[in-house]
Amino acid sequence: MFEALLQQTQAAAPALEPSAAAALAVGLAAFGAGYAERGIGAAAMGAIAEDDSLFVNGLILTVLPETLVILALVVVFLV
Amino acid sequence: MSTAGGSNPEYVTARVRARRSALYGDEEYRKLIRMGPAEIARFMEESDYEAEINALGSRHSGVDLIEYALNRNLAKQFDDLLRWADGRLYDLIARYLRKFDAWNVKTVIRGIYSEADSDEIADDLIRAGEFDEELLDQLLDAPSIEDAVDRLSGTIFGPGLEAAYDDYEDTGVLVPLENAVDRTYYDHLLEDLVVDEATQQYREFLEAEIDFRNARNALRLAQSGADIDPADYYIDGGSLFTASELATLAQNRDELVAAIRDSKYGDDLSAALDELESAESLINFERALDIALLEYTDALGHVFPLSITPIASYILAKEREVDNIRAIARGREAGLSEEQIEQELVIL
Repeated sequence: MFEALLQQTQAAAPALEPSAAAALAVGLAAFGAGYAERGIGAAAMGAIAEDDSLFVNGLILTVLPETLVILALVVVFLV
Repeated sequence: MSTAGGSNPEYVTARVRARRSALYGDEEYRKLIRMGPAEIARFMEESDYEAEINALGSRHSGVDLIEYALNRNLAKQFDDLLRWADGRLYDLIARYLRKFDAWNVKTVIRGIYSEADSDEIADDLIRAGEFDEELLDQLLDAPSIEDAVDRLSGTIFGPGLEAAYDDYEDTGVLVPLENAVDRTYYDHLLEDLVVDEATQQYREFLEAEIDFRNARNALRLAQSGADIDPADYYIDGGSLFTASELATLAQNRDELVAAIRDSKYGDDLSAALDELESAESLINFERALDIALLEYTDALGHVFPLSITPIASYILAKEREVDNIRAIARGREAGLSEEQIEQELVIL
């Protein structure tokens, strides 16, 4: 019975399934993007408060780090 | 100030950069120099100063209107800075803006001393620093200097003023009180400043300001030849002079100039020093000090974009703008020529 248990652990799947690792990767990328957007968003709000015409520029610059998440999403399709 | 404690240099810097680009440039000054007081007021009304000119336009006119509008706008701009900033950034900005608290305390004390009525004193206050409206109103209502000192006991100026009050009672002159206020301000300027890469620059700027202030005081003493101990006016914290060095240098102007020339500011100030040696004119030298400091902070603002330095650079530039407009308005009123006024301006 002990032997059977040992065999069972050896045969078991790795601690992290590939799909779980991919999900983690996307999550971390999103976290990074969020942190980057925090700074850019604060600066963009400051600029827009002074000058309304900067709204479009501010919006574009604020969502630029979002590309990080999109690139990270590629991982999900690779595994 | 929020209690969350986070610092938000991104937001404040973005706003400050926009405000800074809206300051008057060469072009505007060239126009202003040719205008009379009424035209200057109108010109200001069409730019950033609209609200202040409109609010004060019914009570004042001419140069007074310009002066009070400038003071009020300055206070508004700097209050905005303190309102925007959080956490550590607030502390760093407040350190420098306490200069206006010091100014207000001195104005109130002088006002009470000269028995001006409180409306007149109120017009001369610059409500920028850390004091809130309530405290300033209490100060304005103070019937005597003793009461004013009493009402300041909760602030950073309290202990120094209380100690100096006895001196004032003995001598009857304001110098001890004013000295106490200035010293408290400069003592707190560098106190407990946590120095990292970014604030290192800020500290250098503050040190440069103290050095220049010491140099200016020493030159004034040397120029006037008055028998005053320069150590009484020495401000601690600079890197250029020690108290005893300054005391000996203030006796001899040529040595003082040589000492400044050999210091790290020598390059920036060499043109001014040449002029000082030849022309004996302190005004041009003091103006050169202002320009050197302004250039210095202007460069600082680009080294660490997300720190206090762009904000410090804006504060200084705004102060210079206010000084410049005041100089133009006063100069025109006094009938100075355009060239003479131009010499008074501090423009990069």
